[in-house]
Amino acid sequence: MSIAGKIALVTGAGTGIGQGVAVELARRGAKVAVHYNRSDAGARNTLSRIESIGGEGCLVQADVARKEDIDRMAEAVADRFGGIDVLVNNAALQLNYDFFEHDEDSFDRMMNINLKGYLQCIQAVVPYMKTKRSGRIIVISSVHSKRPTDFDAVYAMTKGGIRMLARESAIELAKYGITVNAIEPGAVDVGKQSVRESKPILSEEERERQKHARSSILDKFPLGRVGKPLDVANLVAFIASDESEFMTGSSIRLDGGSMLL
Amino acid sequence: MKLQNKVVFVTDADNEVGKSVVKRLSEEGASLILNSGSGGGALAGELADIREAGRQALVVNVDLSSGEEVADMLAAAEEALGSVDVLVHNQALVRKASVETCEEALFLESLKINAKTAFFCTRAVGRQMQRKQAGSIIYVSSIHAEKPTGSSFAFSVSKGAVKMLAKEAALVLGRSGVRVNTIELGPLDGREDGELFGSDFSTLYRDYEYKVPNASLGTSDDLAELVLFLSTDGSRYVNGSDIRLDGGFLLHYMNHKMKRP
Repeated sequence: MSIAGKIALVTGAGTGIGQGVAVELARRGAKVAVHYNRSDAGARNTLSRIESIGGEGCLVQADVARKEDIDRMAEAVADRFGGIDVLVNNAALQLNYDFFEHDEDSFDRMMNINLKGYLQCIQAVVPYMKTKRSGRIIVISSVHSKRPTDFDAVYAMTKGGIRMLARESAIELAKYGITVNAIEPGAVDVGKQSVRESKPILSEEERERQKHARSSILDKFPLGRVGKPLDVANLVAFIASDESEFMTGSSIRLDGGSMLL
Repeated sequence: MKLQNKVVFVTDADNEVGKSVVKRLSEEGASLILNSGSGGGALAGELADIREAGRQALVVNVDLSSGEEVADMLAAAEEALGSVDVLVHNQALVRKASVETCEEALFLESLKINAKTAFFCTRAVGRQMQRKQAGSIIYVSSIHAEKPTGSSFAFSVSKGAVKMLAKEAALVLGRSGVRVNTIELGPLDGREDGELFGSDFSTLYRDYEYKVPNASLGTSDDLAELVLFLSTDGSRYVNGSDIRLDGGFLLHYMNHKMKRP
């Protein structure tokens, strides 16, 4: 199962899941474009981790709510590496607003980034994948595409929409040899990272300490721990490889079994 | 009379589904708030019947995606009829669009008409229902909240978002005695579903009338009966459900053994 030499664009790669995915794809030999919007320090950190393990990457900045930004980003990546083979749609906004707190502004912001952004990133990479008659589009969704959050209704709405976007894209883009699949992570430990404040991935000791502090959460995971960005990255790496060629339009829950309880 | 003294808000009273719902619920004694793009013109027959039977119908024409307009309208309607007991959200904007080439404006319009209206109508009636600690919210959705079309992806994406809105609202408003459910409607007799949803990528609508196992398509009156059930206390334990109303249309895998005349 190899992704060596493939060109991957990972959105929202300055923090959390996106950072973990970008580093792991690079470790496996992919050339990785690290997208960020405001997390420039985080993105630089992602790139330096990629370079420290001998990987190849570059930084691309874009506001995924703006089509012209997205198109410019795709062009820059293709110019730099000679195409785009893999898109990991990951950049998203979660506001954690109560149901009645959302207003038209917050509703539109989330739809523009999470849903329209995913669509327009797909639109931007398809021309490059078409010319190679091959491509992998991986959308990071959430268990909240099926089960409510209870803390951010609009976030769940965007994930419910993404679920259908992946399915529709899958049947439409199949003729180009492009597959589209969704990963639905449950809780993933991304440390204290946020869009505003980016830190390096936690050390094992810090991770252990967090585990104990959150034992009540761990009761909710049959496998005894919350997810890590690397868990998501390993699945992304499989979907990005040639071996996944018969899989399209699938939604894969990746949550340590937590949805089963 | 199952809906005596109940106030029902129907969001698109002009379409076929809306008219059937209006007719059926008013037969059961409901007072109606009808949002009508035609200002009641498309509903003249239904309105005449309602008035002849001595029942009430308030015809309004507001932008349902504006939280403020909906809330103001409902406050005025409350003075006239009382607060809302049942919301029937039945917006359905279906536009042919391809993932690859869809213009931003068409995508955003689909999200606005199908999903944003659902959120802001729910928020507005949700406040009234919380005060009463009772209510039923019904989204008339589509089997395409689950099954891709290959032709009208913006519709399925927006209905996928509504599916999750229903689950969020079922949880959050459920604590206040409000039930929230989705009807996933399949093809109807007399409606050109093959034209609406057929595509080059999917064989779903090829000979679709025979894919309903009994080879008999449903009508908007069948839908109205289900809306009536969900409007009454007989459905008090139905909450957060997606009810597929398609005669079994979606059960086919490879179109074997169709019942043909």
